[in-house]
Amino acid sequence: MSHKPEPPSAVGRVDDSRRRFVLGASSLPVMAGAGLTTGLTLGSAPAHAALKTSAHIVIAGSGLGGLAIANRLARELDGARITVIDRKEIHNYQPGYTLVATGIWPVVKVSDRNADLMPANAQWVHEMVAEFDPVANAVVTDSGKRIEYDYLVVATGLHLDFAQIEGMDVAAIGTNGLTSVYPSPAAAEATWRAMDTFRQKGGQALMTLPATALKCAGAPLKMTFMIADRLKQAGTRDASKIDFHSALGNIFSVPVINDEVLRRWLKLNIPVTFNSKLVAVDIGARRATVTSPEGERTEIDYDFIHVVPPMRAPDAVKNSPLAWQEGGFAAGGWLEVDPKTLRHRRFPNVFGLGDINGTGKGKTAATIKKSAPIVAQNLIDVIAGREPSQVFDGYTSCPLLLREGAALLVEFDYQNNLTPSLPMIDPLQDSYFAWVMKYRLLKPAYMAVAKGRV
Amino acid sequence: MYEIWLTLNILFELGLQYLPLVIGTAALWLVLMIFAATRRRAGWKKALAPALVIGVIATVITFFITPSMTMSSFDNMGYWVDWMNLFFYAVAFGGVAAALAWPIAASLRRRG
Repeated sequence: MSHKPEPPSAVGRVDDSRRRFVLGASSLPVMAGAGLTTGLTLGSAPAHAALKTSAHIVIAGSGLGGLAIANRLARELDGARITVIDRKEIHNYQPGYTLVATGIWPVVKVSDRNADLMPANAQWVHEMVAEFDPVANAVVTDSGKRIEYDYLVVATGLHLDFAQIEGMDVAAIGTNGLTSVYPSPAAAEATWRAMDTFRQKGGQALMTLPATALKCAGAPLKMTFMIADRLKQAGTRDASKIDFHSALGNIFSVPVINDEVLRRWLKLNIPVTFNSKLVAVDIGARRATVTSPEGERTEIDYDFIHVVPPMRAPDAVKNSPLAWQEGGFAAGGWLEVDPKTLRHRRFPNVFGLGDINGTGKGKTAATIKKSAPIVAQNLIDVIAGREPSQVFDGYTSCPLLLREGAALLVEFDYQNNLTPSLPMIDPLQDSYFAWVMKYRLLKPAYMAVAKGRV
Repeated sequence: MYEIWLTLNILFELGLQYLPLVIGTAALWLVLMIFAATRRRAGWKKALAPALVIGVIATVITFFITPSMTMSSFDNMGYWVDWMNLFFYAVAFGGVAAALAWPIAASLRRRG
């Protein structure tokens, strides 16, 4: 390492209580009236004495994770050189895609300028990391620029592997009943147009789920609940059939939520076919092909299809020494981090944050909200010559849209424990409060996370 | 403390989303307060009751219109947490209405 860390006079301790995200939001209305003007004067986090260091920290990616960690480190380190590598100019609020794709939000609500969220004292390299060389403590960008680092935070996000679905064309989303909420705001908007058209007459809807790890694993379920609701609103539900095909033996990794959603779908007449993987789509003919684990192929005609792509690590991570080399996460090329500290298991000056991490849970914005302060503190600990002090429990939450106006607020951890922020919140109860959280309050909270304040 | 900090941050970001409205409301309140304060014999104490009434009326109205304003309905009130939150939203807006009404009422109700 090229730097010599100086002992901190008083390094700020991160929040070590659990699941406070929803808790704070739930007290918002109480403070809303009194806090209206106070809030406008809010500009920075509580004062901490910053750790003096000359370390060069490279952050690969400027999604929510990259921005949150960049802003935190920019504030909590004194003298560090922080470099963020990402070409992205527009920051998309991805948790809002399901709202756009179901006609609840206009698309303009999900896009902001990345420059507005980038810390002023960070160097922003407008390129993409094409190669990681952790042995030499360097990354190489797609223009061939080699950037050396003392510490690396990998926050690249993941790759939507539509190419694994034969015949799939992302550019065709919105046409011929083809939809997918995942790729972009434009795709989400096109998905709503297709859903709106479909619900006028009804017909056969085919909802899918791949076998890989997913970002926002609740999104395919939300889309299914919402298309049922939109058909009902249009009076065409009885003329329609909604089939859900899961490539897995379940539809959600948390058993109690899985069972609850299946129970609700039974009442809504949404049958599920398990171990049925979408492998091909004929867009013009509106015909999908699914396979069983035994390789038996079945063709299904549809009027509306929601395609959820298989997901994996981007090539730059997948093809690097940073990826898991064996075990269940190796196939997807996910980052090999310790699930508790989010520090790389073989390269101790590397941390991972967000979707890229090869951990059992946690590809949501809520995960980043909880884990960004932990990664920041653990990285600061390592810079200061200490062992990481913070432990991540795998917290994830999912405001699961049930219909227009109601949602479930599901929170859980690595062990599939339901972890409601407040004991009074019933995770399996249809809730207006959970709806308002999703509809109004989570984006402001998200922006505060991106700015590294909460 | 973290919850308060988080709440202030959410309010701050919400305020940024509706900045013209927030600034306009704050400026209006300030103008009304200055206007009332510079009036001779403004009846601040006498104005409390009517301001409170206006606040309660605004609370009741907000309570009933908020579900539809948020693309929901009373049918979606699942349990007491939903009712409690709706009540507090309404109270918050009622508080703002009362704050705006107070200087107006004080200007109209002179001290004897």
